[in-house]
Amino acid sequence: MSYQEKRTIVNILSGVPVLIAYGIYVFIRTRSGSVDPNDLRFWGITMLTFIGIGVASGIILQILFHIGLSISIAIKTGDGKEREVERDIEATIVEDEMDKLIELKSLKLGFSITGTGFVIALIYLAFSGSAAGMLNIMFFSFGIGSISEGFLSLRYYRKGLKNG
Amino acid sequence: MVKKFEITNRIRELRFFAEEMTQQELARRAGVSRQTIIAVEAGKYAPSLEMAFRIADVFGVAITEVFACKVSEIEGKKG
Repeated sequence: MSYQEKRTIVNILSGVPVLIAYGIYVFIRTRSGSVDPNDLRFWGITMLTFIGIGVASGIILQILFHIGLSISIAIKTGDGKEREVERDIEATIVEDEMDKLIELKSLKLGFSITGTGFVIALIYLAFSGSAAGMLNIMFFSFGIGSISEGFLSLRYYRKGLKNG
Repeated sequence: MVKKFEITNRIRELRFFAEEMTQQELARRAGVSRQTIIAVEAGKYAPSLEMAFRIADVFGVAITEVFACKVSEIEGKKG
C-alpha cells in the first residue's frame, strides 16, 4: 500500500469515529430528555465541539502517522545512513500532479454531497421541519461528503485515473 | 466513427535496460511518487507533457521513445 493510500485511510479514520460519536452523543442526549431538541444553542455548542474534536484528532493522527512512517523507513534503510533515510522519506511523501488531480476529483464529489445535503436541509425547512433538524442534515452531509471524498481518493489510487 | 486515443508506454522495458531500475528510483529521479510511476506504467494514468518529458529525461531518450499513441476507431457519435 502506498503512502498516499495510507494517508487517505488515516483521514477517513479520523472522520468516521467523530461522526459516529456525534450521532451517539446526540441520540443519547435527546432521548434522555435532558436537552430540548429545539434549543439551538445546544446544537451550536455540540457541533462546534465535535468539529473541534474532528480537526484535532485529524491533526494528531496525521502527526502520529508521519512519525510511524519515518520510523518504518528508517528501520528499513538501516542504521547510520541518515542521508539515505532522509532521501527515502522525501521520495515517499512527494506530492505530484496525479495526487492533485485525485484530490480535485474527490473534492468535487465532496462538494456535490455537501451541496445536496444543503438543498435537502432547505427543503426540509420549507416543509415545516425544525431548525435543529436542518442543522443536523447539514452537519451529516458535511461529514458524509468528507468521508466519501476519502473513499473516492482510495478508489482512484487503486483503479487509476484515465486520461487525467 | 470516433477516434480513440490511447497512450502506451515502454517504461517497463526502459527500466529493464537501465540495469533494472526500480520504480522507486525512477520516481525519485523524475520527482514524482512511486504510486504515479506504477499508474503510468500500467496505463492507468496519462501523465502531463511535463511529467512525460521528465520520465524520458531520466532514461536519456526522446519522449517518443517512451510514450506512443495508439489510435483506434470506435463506433459512436462524434462530440
